[in-house]
Amino acid sequence: MSLTVALSKGKLLAGSDALFRRAGLPFPNGEGRKLVVPAGELRFLLVKDMDVPTYVEYGVADCGVAGKDVLLETGADVLEPLDLGFGRCRVVVASPAGRGFAPDRAATTRVASKYARLARSHFLERGYGVEVVRLAGSVEIAPGLGLADCIVDVVETGRTLAENELQEVETVAESSARLIVNRASFHARRAELQGLMARLEEASR
Amino acid sequence: MTARLTEVPPGAQCFVGEEARLRRRIEETVVAVFEGWDYEEIIPPLFDYASVFALEALASKTYSFVARDGSVLALRPDFTSLVAKIAAGRLRERPAPLRLYYSGEVVRYEPIKAGQQSELHQMGLEHLGGDPRAADAEVLAIAAECLERLGASGFVLALGHVGVFAGLVEAAGLAPERVLALRDRVESKDPAGVRQALAGTDAPKAVVAAIERLTTLSGGLEALDPALEAFSFSAKASAALEELRTVAHALESAGLGRHLAVDLGEVRGLDYYTGLVFRVFARDLGFEVGGGGRYDTLVARYGRPLPAVGFMLGLDRVALLLERQGRLAAMPRASALAVAASDLGAGIAHAVARRAESVRIRFGNGGPR
Repeated sequence: MSLTVALSKGKLLAGSDALFRRAGLPFPNGEGRKLVVPAGELRFLLVKDMDVPTYVEYGVADCGVAGKDVLLETGADVLEPLDLGFGRCRVVVASPAGRGFAPDRAATTRVASKYARLARSHFLERGYGVEVVRLAGSVEIAPGLGLADCIVDVVETGRTLAENELQEVETVAESSARLIVNRASFHARRAELQGLMARLEEASR
Repeated sequence: MTARLTEVPPGAQCFVGEEARLRRRIEETVVAVFEGWDYEEIIPPLFDYASVFALEALASKTYSFVARDGSVLALRPDFTSLVAKIAAGRLRERPAPLRLYYSGEVVRYEPIKAGQQSELHQMGLEHLGGDPRAADAEVLAIAAECLERLGASGFVLALGHVGVFAGLVEAAGLAPERVLALRDRVESKDPAGVRQALAGTDAPKAVVAAIERLTTLSGGLEALDPALEAFSFSAKASAALEELRTVAHALESAGLGRHLAVDLGEVRGLDYYTGLVFRVFARDLGFEVGGGGRYDTLVARYGRPLPAVGFMLGLDRVALLLERQGRLAAMPRASALAVAASDLGAGIAHAVARRAESVRIRFGNGGPR
């Protein structure tokens, strides 16, 4: 049986495509709407970025490509042997520009985020009790509309923040795409996975 | 709150008919192997004083409650602590080595995901005292035999040793609060994360590089050789690797080499392990089937210094693995002889007579069902 690779349909797809092709590995050609795609000696699953670690943790996929931000948020128990170097971004705290941000002065700070778990632990570790409002997207508009005092979200260029009159307060985590591997597959399918890992490592240099 | 009475709380388990028969058969197979290596069954209590359960990693997952006299009790979250307590208490006069096995349920507060359960059935054994290397090899051989007899294919015993990581951390001179974060990254085989966790410490460059190598030093037994070379600066790590090599070579000569792997990044686990650790993985199951290791300081906690090694298999995980591998032959219920008579006295007399001959019967009095 071929190895199964879980991929994000989202922003990491193009980078994954480029990397797999550089490594001389097959890659789904993006046609059609099939989400389980055999290609060459591999089988690909195209799933939501937050779901990639889940498929790998359960062993439905032997390995996958996931952002470090997603790994931190899901807390999935998977191996992370390779930093693939693309998809670099940061998860930051941002608040309305000019308003300042002082969680230590507020009884309750509301934080809007897609990264609820990461946001909660970031503030709790610093001793700030915060209320986290989990949103599925368009997080940047939450402070302006009074839903939250600040947001925890991912930034690449910072343009979206500026357009919504937000400014970065601090970095929560640095992120880039990682190759993740299921713990059992790592041993039970060692030879095949090590071959794949060696090629991806070479191509990501 | 008025939940319907048929609703089940998350994590509660129930097995009926064939499912139960298959589980029973797995249990019987494993227990027969334990018995075959001359281990004695121990049926420890379901609950004990909460302080008996030693594993820090399980403390937050333990169901504990206050008894009428005010003492704090807990439902067993594992067997090893109980076996250690009994070996040091009730069995204190018994000369070592003690070979004890168990099969039963433990309960934990555990979110249900990827093989984690709140009610789980463990089949395991503890080997207390005796020659440590011999005991290590014995326990690994038993684990392999269990999986062979169950018909599992493509299984791997991934061996590590906590002394390797401990030796390297010692050489790095790390503050204890940094060790946890580092261990987490080593566990994830994340070399970039290891570098980050060691950034800004006084750890010598060569030691940092060595710790980073823990994330890649895994594979066949040949992975031990580069490790011995790379970690030669640490006496503790070298001694740990020599121990591993002794045990691994012994098993290789028993023809079990094909089931062995080395995983020096295997630093997970409950904090009481002191030596060899291992996890059992197999094709077709994304999480481990079981695992074990050496814990030389735990029994002393209960007042009897006794080195020990043990392992367990999760019955639920074994069942899932065998099902995925198509190794669970159907076990249809044997058909029963219908015994009925219009006269109740004559009918039950007939039934009792057939039962005296051990015939499987289904009794009915011919009335409405």
